Amino acid sequence: MRQLRDGNYWSPYLAGAFAGLVLVLSVFMTGNYFGASTSFARSAGLIEQIFSAERVARIEYFTKTTPKIDWQWMFVIGILIGSFIAAKISGTYKAQTIPDMWQEKFGSNVALRGTVAFIGGTVAMFGARLADG
Amino acid sequence: MSELVYGIVTGILFGFFLQRGKVLRYDKQIGALRLLDMTIVKFMFTAILVGTVGIYLLTDLGLAKLSVKSTILGATIGGGLLFGIGWGLLGYCPGTAIGAIGEGRWDGVWGVLGMLVGGALYAEAYPWMKQSLLIWGDLGKITLPGVLHVNHWVVIPVFILAGAGLFLFFEKKNL
Repeated sequence: MRQLRDGNYWSPYLAGAFAGLVLVLSVFMTGNYFGASTSFARSAGLIEQIFSAERVARIEYFTKTTPKIDWQWMFVIGILIGSFIAAKISGTYKAQTIPDMWQEKFGSNVALRGTVAFIGGTVAMFGARLADG
Repeated sequence: MSELVYGIVTGILFGFFLQRGKVLRYDKQIGALRLLDMTIVKFMFTAILVGTVGIYLLTDLGLAKLSVKSTILGATIGGGLLFGIGWGLLGYCPGTAIGAIGEGRWDGVWGVLGMLVGGALYAEAYPWMKQSLLIWGDLGKITLPGVLHVNHWVVIPVFILAGAGLFLFFEKKNL
C-alpha cells in the first residue's frame, strides 16, 4: 500500500478494488456473478457438436449445461480484449512463449512448457467443474 | 442479445483491471503458490472485500440476490485438489489463462486447449461423479452468517479486519 503504482502497473489493491466494483455493478445491473469455467465446458460441447451433434445430445452433462454462447461466454472473451487493451495502452504487452520463472527452473523448451501447460489446463478444468467453481 | 453485450463489456472491464494489477502472470500465480509473492492474493482479497460489502448492501436494499452454491464436501475437496494440481502445472486459472493471452503470454493457449479437453472429459465423467463425489457430504447452500446464526454485518467487519491484518503482514514482509 506504500505506492499505488508499480512501474507501469497499478497496485494490486487498487486494481482489485476496481475489479470488485465491476462485480458489484454487474450484480446490480444484470444479476450476473463472475465465473469462467462453465464456458470452457460449454465450448467443449460446441466443438464436439461440429463432429457429432447426436452424440452431444446424448451426453447428460450437456443437457444440464447446454453448449451455447451466453453472458459468461462473452465475459470470458471480454477478459481477453480488456487485457489486450490495458497491455497495449500501458506499453506492457509482451509476446512471450516461456514465462521467466519457468525458464529459470526448466529452461526454454517450448514443447515441454506447452505439454505441462496443456496437462495442467486439463486437470485444473476437470477439478473446477467438479467443485462447481 | 443485450445480455451478451453486458457480458462482453463486463469482461473487458474485468480483464482491464486484471492486467493493470499484474495478476495475469505465471510468475505472480506460481509466486503465490510458492509463498514468494502475494500480488494475486492482494488483488483477489481486495476484490472480494469490496464485492462482499457492495453485494450485501444491494441485497439488504432488495436490489440484488445472493448466488450461493451448494457446499458438497466430496466435490469441493476433490475438485479443489485437482484444480490445485492443474493450476500449479499451468500457472494460470481459467479466466487468467485467457487474460494472459491478451497481454501476449502465448503459453496460455496450451492451457486453454487443455481446459477444453478437461471440460469435455468432465462431461463424460459426470454420470459417475453424480453417484459419488457430487453427493458425498452435501451440506446444502450454507453461508458463514447462516451457520453462525448471526447477521451478515457481524461477520463482514471481522472479515475486513482479517483482510487488513493479512495485508499489513504482506507489506511488512515485502511479499
